[in-house]
Amino acid sequence: MGEYKSRELDGIFNALCDPTRRAILARLTDADARVTEIAADFPISLNSISKHIRMLERAGLLRRSIVGRDHVLTLNAAPLADAQAWIEKYRRFWEGRLAALDAFVTSKKRKRK
Amino acid sequence: MSAAVPNTLASAAVVVRRVIAASAEDLFDAWLDPEALAQWMRPGTINSTVARVEPRVGGEYEISMQGQSGPIVHKGVYRVIERPKRLVFTWISGPTENKETLVTVDFVRVDKRTEVIVTHEQLPESAMPSHRNGWTSGLEHLDEACQKGLIG
Repeated sequence: MGEYKSRELDGIFNALCDPTRRAILARLTDADARVTEIAADFPISLNSISKHIRMLERAGLLRRSIVGRDHVLTLNAAPLADAQAWIEKYRRFWEGRLAALDAFVTSKKRKRK
Repeated sequence: MSAAVPNTLASAAVVVRRVIAASAEDLFDAWLDPEALAQWMRPGTINSTVARVEPRVGGEYEISMQGQSGPIVHKGVYRVIERPKRLVFTWISGPTENKETLVTVDFVRVDKRTEVIVTHEQLPESAMPSHRNGWTSGLEHLDEACQKGLIG
């Protein structure tokens, strides 16, 4: 599992706490898209869309490649995969503890009888 | 909304449940008794666990798990102690990056058994993404988490 750097993670979560930015990511799960195509999908200025895109880029959630005159955006889910691994680990931890609690309390109860 | 966006962020908490054939009181007490904790707060990779608890609101606990590469220490403060319904405590450890997280344990009677529900939240940002659905479904729930101030 990767090392988490809080500042980067703050960037990720800030980037995601905005409906437009989430919609941009959702749009990119279907296919890569040009900045101009994304802009056409939203009723806000190209300038605003560009700001949102830059935030997502800084958070590492999407990548931009320049093909000729086009800026093509690709979703990058990798920063979230590490996070996924972390939370999975804690879920397993608590599942294991509750199983042990079950064994402990029920065996104690049997002994008392 | 299309599939496969990091819905990951849908939930800011890990929730784990288990119905156990025991009374809520017996189960509740096992969380605050150092000898009991030493028995069941011991994951497979841990040789032994030593627990120290101050079972009052504001009291501290420390659970030290002796692993092969040294002790893993978990500590925190009790926030709510409502026997036998609810226990809330902070949880700080290496795996939480030494940041404060919050564990709520609810004990719900189900006939003669008790459902124990562990909710672990305010996890470090890295942990907030939901563990449940991988990359499926949408980001709808994220708003809620953001509004609650759990994220961002």
